[in-house]
Amino acid sequence: MRRVLAALAALLCSLAVLTACGGSDSPDEADSGPKTIAVTIEGGNVTPNGERVEVAVGQEVELDVTSDAPGVIHVHSSPEQELEFDAGESTLTIEGIDKPGTVDVESHELEKVIVQLEVR
Amino acid sequence: MSDGFTSAIISTHGIGGAKDLPISPELAIAGASAALVVSFTVLAVAWRTPRYDAATSGRPAPALLTRLVDSAGWRVACRVLGFAVFLYAAMAAVFGKDLVINPVFGIFYVWWWVGLVPLSLLLGPVWKAISPVRTINLGFAKVSGSDPDRGLFTYPERLGYWPAALGLFAFVWMELVYPFSTELGPVRLWCAAYVAVMLVGGALFGSRFYESADPFEVYSTLVAHLSVWGRRDGRLVLRSPLANLDTVPARPGLVAVVAVLFGSTAFDSFKDSSRWLSFVQSTDVSTDLLNNLALVAFCVGVGLIFATGSMLTGLGDDLRRRELPNLLAHSVVPIIVGYIVAHYLRYLVEVGQLTLIQASDPFSDGSNYLGTADLDPWYWLAYHPTFLANVKVLAVVAGHVLGVIAAHDRAIKILPPRHQLTGQLPLLFAMVAFTVGGLYLLFAA
Repeated sequence: MRRVLAALAALLCSLAVLTACGGSDSPDEADSGPKTIAVTIEGGNVTPNGERVEVAVGQEVELDVTSDAPGVIHVHSSPEQELEFDAGESTLTIEGIDKPGTVDVESHELEKVIVQLEVR
Repeated sequence: MSDGFTSAIISTHGIGGAKDLPISPELAIAGASAALVVSFTVLAVAWRTPRYDAATSGRPAPALLTRLVDSAGWRVACRVLGFAVFLYAAMAAVFGKDLVINPVFGIFYVWWWVGLVPLSLLLGPVWKAISPVRTINLGFAKVSGSDPDRGLFTYPERLGYWPAALGLFAFVWMELVYPFSTELGPVRLWCAAYVAVMLVGGALFGSRFYESADPFEVYSTLVAHLSVWGRRDGRLVLRSPLANLDTVPARPGLVAVVAVLFGSTAFDSFKDSSRWLSFVQSTDVSTDLLNNLALVAFCVGVGLIFATGSMLTGLGDDLRRRELPNLLAHSVVPIIVGYIVAHYLRYLVEVGQLTLIQASDPFSDGSNYLGTADLDPWYWLAYHPTFLANVKVLAVVAGHVLGVIAAHDRAIKILPPRHQLTGQLPLLFAMVAFTVGGLYLLFAA
């Protein structure tokens, strides 16, 4: 039993060391200007289609939307953001998100996730 | 109450706003390698004679504590507490508005479903002590002068935990797949059906029914087997979690219960992964159908992998192969708890607090009945993603280690000597698959 415990302890320690090097937080890029994402909403489909996009904490996101119909984009941050747009081309701004996490950006009408913002 | 979170908790995604960041690949790999190495270390160096025995394990709890928890006053206090929360939630469900700020959603999906896990881990079988359906059953028995433990019939032992597995599946289906999970009507209906089935079951089979068929009691009591609190011949004892885990009764359907619990949590991670999202969103097949199929596939898949892993061994004459999965299924409980911690820790802390805030305003009219409406939620975990990621991986690996040890001890108890080590290998692979799969989902989703 003691041998097992010792082995386990050693393993957990090595894991702790490994993880300590593994998890580095990204540097704060809030000053590097907004992130721009081109979004197309057409025929019931969205592009990008549920992809991950990394943004920094506090960084604004600019959506260049081209859509064949007016609609609303939901940003599932807290507080939630709602962005309305008309048919045609429009530019929407998602305010900087202050809490790290994964935030879905979704077309309200189609109930489809356009991008998932990884806020780091 | 700030308007920030009232709108943050929105319907299409269940409750809760932002989700966890994925863990880093380095962390996932470190966790997976640790799990792998630990598994074979346990197999190679661990004891060769069984250590855990329900009939002798544990030492008596301090006399004062035993007297307290066995006293009528304590039991009544627990029942009153459980029933008060139940009535409060029922009030919000029946008279409250169909808004996402109605606290009933948080009470249902977060306090009840997720909160029960840490409570049971710390305090033992909590749901059994506070369960309002047991309380009502007790009340009926008192009024009619009958014995609450006895019903019209004896509970058929062949049913085992199967009704609970079904009930658990009904819950995870409601939470993860049903598109209107955050509308008041369906939540009311689900709870009404739960209470109705439990009361009828209690009347038919007595309170023995709850032990095997109440999904929440089965879940809570299983997790409580990882706590230090146990009973031996009715006496309160303190046990090591591993010795306590060994006392899980191996009834039929136990594999189904653990398969639903682990499979559904894994599916919850999986359904948010970018790959699944883009697949579901670009095909013409209905999203609901695909989600339903995927949830079933995850649960059945976990069950099959575990059953296969536990049955691929040489046997003596005293044991039938079909009995093996249920005899070993208790070893998945720590893996489930580890993964639940990883998956739900931040969600429980954050949405749990929001629910406490909302609980002050059950009718959504700006009231502050409990004085909690102005609390400031504690978001420390969200602001420390590296710490959170480390805790998640440690929880998964720790759960895996406990699971492997539990399976090892059971295997050397039930398998004939010449198959004791080789017979464990397939099961070990199944467990490594669960843990590595879980870590992969934490990394990819």
